[in-house]
Amino acid sequence: MASGEFTEEEQGRYDRQIRLWGIEAQQRMRNATILVVRLRGTATETIKNIVLAGIGKLILVDADDVKEEDLGAGFFFRDDDVGKKRVDAAKARIENLNPLVTVETVPNFNVLNNQNFESTVNGVDLVCITEWDRDDLVRLNIICRRSRKPFYSGGTYGLLGYIFCDLLDHNYISPDRSSPKDVPKSIQMKVSYPSLQDALRHRWSLLSKRQTKELNPASVFAILALWRFQSIQKRLPIGAQDVGELQQIADALVSEADVNKQVITTVPHSLIESVTMTAVHEFSPVCAIVGGLLAQDILKTLAAREPPIANFLTFDGNTGGASVCKLSMS
Amino acid sequence: MPTTTTTTVAGRTKHAKAILGDELHKKLGETKVLVVGAGGIGCELIKTLVLSGFIDITLLDLDTIDLSNLNRQFLFRTTHIKKPKSLIAASVASTFNPLVDITPIQDNIMDSEKYHVDWFRGFDIVLNALDNLEARKYVGRMCVAGGVKMVESGTAGYLGQVQPIVGGVTECFECMEKPKGGKTYPVCTIRSTPSLPIHCVVWSKSYLMGQLFGVDEDAGAELDEAEKQGENAEEIANLRKEAESFAQVRAAIRSGGPAARMIFDKIFNTDIKRLLSMSDMWNHRASPVPLDFDRIMQGENENGNGSKQKQTVALKDQKKLTTKENLELFVSSVSALSARLSSTETVIEFDKDDDDTLNFVTAASNLRSLAYGIPQKTKWEVKEMAGNIIPAIATTNAIIAGLIVLQGVNLIASSFSPPTSTPTSPSPSPLSSLRNIHIQLKPSVPLSAITTSRPNPACGICRDIYTVVRCDPLRATLRDVVQGVLGLSPPPISEFTIFASSPSAPSATRILADPDWEDNLDRTLGSVNVRCGMFVNVVHEEGVWETISVGIGGLPPDAGCYGGNANRNRNAEGEGEGEGIPWLMLPDPLPRLVVRKEEKEKSGGTNTPLPPPPVERASLKRGLGEDDDIVVLDSNDNHSADAHPPAAKRRKTSSNPPPSTPPERQHPARAGFSSPSKKRKLEEDGLVLMESAEELLDDISEDINGGEGDVIVID
Repeated sequence: MASGEFTEEEQGRYDRQIRLWGIEAQQRMRNATILVVRLRGTATETIKNIVLAGIGKLILVDADDVKEEDLGAGFFFRDDDVGKKRVDAAKARIENLNPLVTVETVPNFNVLNNQNFESTVNGVDLVCITEWDRDDLVRLNIICRRSRKPFYSGGTYGLLGYIFCDLLDHNYISPDRSSPKDVPKSIQMKVSYPSLQDALRHRWSLLSKRQTKELNPASVFAILALWRFQSIQKRLPIGAQDVGELQQIADALVSEADVNKQVITTVPHSLIESVTMTAVHEFSPVCAIVGGLLAQDILKTLAAREPPIANFLTFDGNTGGASVCKLSMS
Repeated sequence: MPTTTTTTVAGRTKHAKAILGDELHKKLGETKVLVVGAGGIGCELIKTLVLSGFIDITLLDLDTIDLSNLNRQFLFRTTHIKKPKSLIAASVASTFNPLVDITPIQDNIMDSEKYHVDWFRGFDIVLNALDNLEARKYVGRMCVAGGVKMVESGTAGYLGQVQPIVGGVTECFECMEKPKGGKTYPVCTIRSTPSLPIHCVVWSKSYLMGQLFGVDEDAGAELDEAEKQGENAEEIANLRKEAESFAQVRAAIRSGGPAARMIFDKIFNTDIKRLLSMSDMWNHRASPVPLDFDRIMQGENENGNGSKQKQTVALKDQKKLTTKENLELFVSSVSALSARLSSTETVIEFDKDDDDTLNFVTAASNLRSLAYGIPQKTKWEVKEMAGNIIPAIATTNAIIAGLIVLQGVNLIASSFSPPTSTPTSPSPSPLSSLRNIHIQLKPSVPLSAITTSRPNPACGICRDIYTVVRCDPLRATLRDVVQGVLGLSPPPISEFTIFASSPSAPSATRILADPDWEDNLDRTLGSVNVRCGMFVNVVHEEGVWETISVGIGGLPPDAGCYGGNANRNRNAEGEGEGEGIPWLMLPDPLPRLVVRKEEKEKSGGTNTPLPPPPVERASLKRGLGEDDDIVVLDSNDNHSADAHPPAAKRRKTSSNPPPSTPPERQHPARAGFSSPSKKRKLEEDGLVLMESAEELLDDISEDINGGEGDVIVID
């Protein structure tokens, strides 16, 4: 399937999307191999979407067994899969979504070791790591940068969700929507992304009050606080006893980042409380939204069409809104 | 009915319970949900519902599965093609959670005799996953009329929107007038002076196909109307001659002989020469060139375009045809269609998935474009233009479906306050507030969440007082129903104008009675053609009271309707009607008459309503003539009709300019108002209401006519 003419079946199956993004974008997707790490709710949705869209090959890595609670957002799993390897339970159902896509599974996390990861990454076109901890994301991102491979990470914490991406120097075509409709025009764009490590050093000093507000800093810092908590405690918050520490971390992060004080000096306690209680849980609608946004962005990057996320998206299921901050990028 | 014997692993609901709280999670399982549509949004929605904790789901869809659905409707496989979407979606999604009980219905939701107000009232929440404006309006009206909460949604390409609706509390689907769907063109542009590829496509699809392969109908009416509208008289006369000469070619097609050459000579040579003879027409525009069959076949007319051109990656249907290839396609498609007409079929209409008709429309519109010096289009492009195809992807649908469920949970949570949290489990984050959500192109805010707006006080749909009367229409009289609903206290029935309307064809409003015409009051509903599922609108002549819309429902099976004795007529006060008519069940309590807002404001809080300005009666009774001089692109849609509110509604606003309403709520006439708040908010967010979904989005095809004009169309 790597090259050549599109078959009648492909034309029929992909008709409605080729009309949106064009045949060249479809061709690029068809030629792409994507590495997805960890199969929980967000990855389930992401994989469904990119496989339906017609990528060439999916490599799926997960070492864990299906747990009962995985059935809550994991529609690749059934009751009698509990106890099996996640990737083994899911493989045939993923293949079933689109017989034109090749699916390869890896039932252990050894590929993530420094040496192995570099060679794995060299064999793929894009890396997507879900539900992973911050420190290891930083490490894996550095390896991807070395191999010049676009890097995505995403996940959900209860009603909150995030996507971070590092697309290195990314070139894409942006349809110029201001031009008159009957003279379609496109602009060639180039944008440079920072590493996750650099992104985390971002300061908000330059943003106006209005700009700051628009980015919904409360949910941004709630997520960044979860990341730091996890780095310190080697686990996510799980109960009322963690509320105080998470609040402290969140407020320290707000202050370090020099966020406009007229907008926020502390992350609302009610949000910290609910995040503490729900961080380890996933909810299907939130996974569908974050997995939808994540898959859409992966496809835009592969197609080199339309501006991708730059570079940190947060979704807030309390309102249904999502915003994107530029962390350490112009 | 949920089967009590079904079990699943205990941990399945652990995460959802932790996030929602046990009470709210339990409530989801008890909620009766109706999902309308099992297509792009519907498949995603069903999946997310069954995983979130919803159990009792009814899924309705009319459609069957097609290959082009498979890029996004992930519950369907190649082996399901041509099977009903509702059935397959229900059975596949049930495997995701053995607890769920999905009832699939393959049917048209707009069947008002089956899917009437009372039927909708059997659900706690309605979730729309529809792809057309009529059905959304229908469901929207039924939910407002039945007091059922709903979430409306739509997607088009990368964009989408979700709108929770609670009648009387938030804007309803029609508080903001929907832009008119389906672009229209003047007859003369299509028939004699095309200047864009779309004009030639419309001509081939809507005119030529019909003339050659459709019902033999008199095209004169359309031209009569165009003449009345003041289009060029000489041109019209000319078009009349052209129409008359179709009789011959129609006969040739049906005789089974080779007809392509004859058709070609008539439409691309003789007709064009006749047009050229009207020299005035071509003073200010390039004149067309008659085509010559033999010369094209010999390879003339090729001017560099076509297959000699360098082709980049392309699908078969995306290749540009040479003029000769176009003519060959014309000949082969005409003979394919002729063969069908002389064997089994009597009429062939354009269908984008019927390859013979698509080939014909492609070839004919390109040949016409050649004659007029207009750029040609590929078969791929023509399919999109003629078939009103809206691009659609899985991701947008998945995001929108997730947002629908979150808003649905909000609606359920808002009618239910969980007991205060126990000390051991602090209340998890409540999904507390209703938001209208848009997927937008603004990079910093890809999902905008706007607080829902209040209803538009001038809305012709959600400001009415709704009620339901169950009766036997063959026995209940109009007076029984209207007087019954008004109760025994004033105002008298003679102050009201009474209309009948059908929720699926709102433009077909009929007057049944008014203060000067009471002949029908003592006739039965049946004898004035009011059936179950229809509405009787009771409009106060002087505009003092809000309109009462009475949904007519059938008697329940246990009522012993035909002279039975159960369920006697009752009313709230029990004022002597207790032993009333056995074939009529009035609502209990009766609807309260509400003074119209404008009236309240005019009277400045006193109880002496001022008389409203006189009503222009003539305009009320005029038929709702549609613009007959235009060609509606999609012959299946009635969108142009939707631009006209029912007469009763129009009147309500036009006869009552509300000078005292606050400026931002002022809507001088319903026909002209644009969104009070939504449009402004959209603009603030950098989103402009588009005429069609593709306007901003699509640079492949310049001129598709999206079925729906709304920002958001659907899949």
